[in-house]
Amino acid sequence: MSAASPTPSKPAGRLNPGYGRWTPALFLAPAVLALLVIGIYPTIFALVTSFRRYNITRPRDGFPFIGIENYQKVLSDQTFWDTLGLTFRFFLTVMPFQIFLGIVIALLLHKPGLGLVRTLARVSLVVPLATTYAVVGLIGRLVFNGNFGVANQMLGWFGIPGFDWLATTNGAFAAIAIMDIWQWTPFCALIFLAGLSMVPVEVEEAARLETSSKVALLRHVQLPYLLPGLTAVLILRSADVLKLFDMIFTMTRGGPGTATELISIYIQRVGFRVFDMGTASAQAILLLILTIMLSRLYIRVFYREIQ
Amino acid sequence: MRTFLLTAASAVALSVAVAAGPSGAFAADWSLETAAAPYKGTEINVIFLDRPGYRAIIKLLPEFEKQTGIKVNYEIVPYESTREKEVLNFTSGGDLTVALVDLVWIGEFAENGWILPIDKFTGDAAITDPNLNLKGFFPLLLDAFGSWGGVTYGLPFDNYSGLLFYNSCMLKDAGFDKPPATWDEVMTVYGPKLTDASKNQYAYALQSRRGETQSADSFMRFLWPFGGSLLDKDFKSNLNSPESQAGLQFRQDLAKYMPPGIVSFDHAEAVNALAQGQVAMITEWSAFYSTLNDPATSKIVDCLAVAPEPEGPAGRLPALGGFSLAVAAQGTEEQQKASWLFIQWATSEDIARDYVEAGGVSGRMAIYEEPDIKATYKFVDPMVASWQKGVPEFRPRFPSWPAISEVVAEWGTKMQLGETSISDGAKEIGTRMEEILKQDGYYDGSKKLLQ
Repeated sequence: MSAASPTPSKPAGRLNPGYGRWTPALFLAPAVLALLVIGIYPTIFALVTSFRRYNITRPRDGFPFIGIENYQKVLSDQTFWDTLGLTFRFFLTVMPFQIFLGIVIALLLHKPGLGLVRTLARVSLVVPLATTYAVVGLIGRLVFNGNFGVANQMLGWFGIPGFDWLATTNGAFAAIAIMDIWQWTPFCALIFLAGLSMVPVEVEEAARLETSSKVALLRHVQLPYLLPGLTAVLILRSADVLKLFDMIFTMTRGGPGTATELISIYIQRVGFRVFDMGTASAQAILLLILTIMLSRLYIRVFYREIQ
Repeated sequence: MRTFLLTAASAVALSVAVAAGPSGAFAADWSLETAAAPYKGTEINVIFLDRPGYRAIIKLLPEFEKQTGIKVNYEIVPYESTREKEVLNFTSGGDLTVALVDLVWIGEFAENGWILPIDKFTGDAAITDPNLNLKGFFPLLLDAFGSWGGVTYGLPFDNYSGLLFYNSCMLKDAGFDKPPATWDEVMTVYGPKLTDASKNQYAYALQSRRGETQSADSFMRFLWPFGGSLLDKDFKSNLNSPESQAGLQFRQDLAKYMPPGIVSFDHAEAVNALAQGQVAMITEWSAFYSTLNDPATSKIVDCLAVAPEPEGPAGRLPALGGFSLAVAAQGTEEQQKASWLFIQWATSEDIARDYVEAGGVSGRMAIYEEPDIKATYKFVDPMVASWQKGVPEFRPRFPSWPAISEVVAEWGTKMQLGETSISDGAKEIGTRMEEILKQDGYYDGSKKLLQ
């Protein structure tokens, strides 16, 4: 007995000679360190700055503590609310398209058969996702060019006269929405495809025997498996739309007028044109709170439904 | 007595030497190679734009590097991001040793001590070219691009004047043998005859995209020639004065002779509209001459003609813009001196010809006296004429301009789109502008009313 007891621990010791109580911490350290440097420190700095007056083009003014003055300024700033409202309008415009088209594409790819075509289609879905935002914006400027853009040519096929998209309030808004839908529908499709592949084959087959209605199959069998994906899509896209900047900046710079001035464009103007870092930080912190609240809301509404 | 005479003689000799300055004492000996010898291997850093003047200096750089052994590192940045990059670099103790200063940034850069006055270097004969000849620059350029509060910080490098570029063939076909001399002619005579919307042809294009293009190229262009201005002498808004309103209304009315969607036109679109024969006239910076004169980018090379901008009721006050190069205060002593050598060289009379021939627009007067340069470059005469008289504060050059420019860009495009009336839009800009100026201390006497 006495000889048997050390036996199991000995080989373990030999297999992991360097393993100690700090080993997991060491493995985690690089990630935590990176997170501290890239994520946590800037957030804390923004939080501190949001309570101070800080315009980097006026170094003589210093960095004085001013309490909640920046927050008061932001909350009473009509442009802040207008741009936030426009951002929600944008979100509510693009999301239904992305979710609907995403589900349609996912269902098509989920169909059995057509092995090679399916694989190719899946791979090609990644292309818009892999395109840099700024490049999407530059492509958008060409696509929606009033003189030689593809968009007007396509309208022409249906006998609709072309117009200068980026020079009209509604046209510019539609143009940035279309580019966003183009870029992000594949992401939704891939997430939903993953959800569909989670449906147990026997359950799906049994359901097919019960009903020939594809809508019933989708509603009662497949949809519950899509809800976690939908929650993820909503959380990620909400955060994404709130910080959507590059594509719009390269395409319209927020114009014409304020037609495409989403909240991120406005914050950039305050932060990096006027260099009022205090106000811009307060705006960013308020957006962070909004994103967290929205995420909690999605989880509460959709996850509860799954349970 | 002897001592007195000796002292007096020495004093006279010394004062003669000092008065002669570098040109007297060192002119014969001075050379860029010798001056740069102590700084061989020094690296200097600068931001360039993707515009003809920078492409020209990049072509000539190897010569400077060969002569001096100083390495010039440049990064090409889009104009709209340049100020952001430079400000962040200067405030974080970055690596830029040469500041590229748009004329509207000079107040901000100088007041914050980010750039150094040139007299820090001109007093040092070892590093100052005896042929520096500051008087050889167009006085308007040296004053507007390089000076703030009476002190010179930068030397004019990439120089622009607003010019009227036009398609002489289109004008001829419409029965005109010369360009319009006044804005009134553009509206009443040239506009109607040169516009045919059914053929997608228009008389004029005014780049008006939101951003500095809207505020500088579109909005301000119609204030000055009509007797208006942004600010009055007390730095209050002057946008609702009858003259300013007339100018802005004129811009609005002129839109019927412009391609639809003019608020989405940036420089590239306006230049391209002329280059492709869609419009007959544009008012653009002189620097775009090389793009319009290049068969690879322009269909109208043979028809291209250039004239000064049309006159308004208050005379010809064309758009003025451009960049100077200044020594950044954050560099080491060595880098500062190496940067000064580079700036002197890049803006010198010596390389002015090469610079112009490579596509740049020099700020030196002498080069435009050369008959072959005058003959080859059609923009020279109108540009020189424009630089004789101009308004340095065409756009105010104080530190508040970038914030005001944002406001003008937003409400200026709203006016053009008809989302707000000229008078309401002007009031809105005025209120917001005065708010910015108040915050910046212009109304409580804490800041001089410099623009």
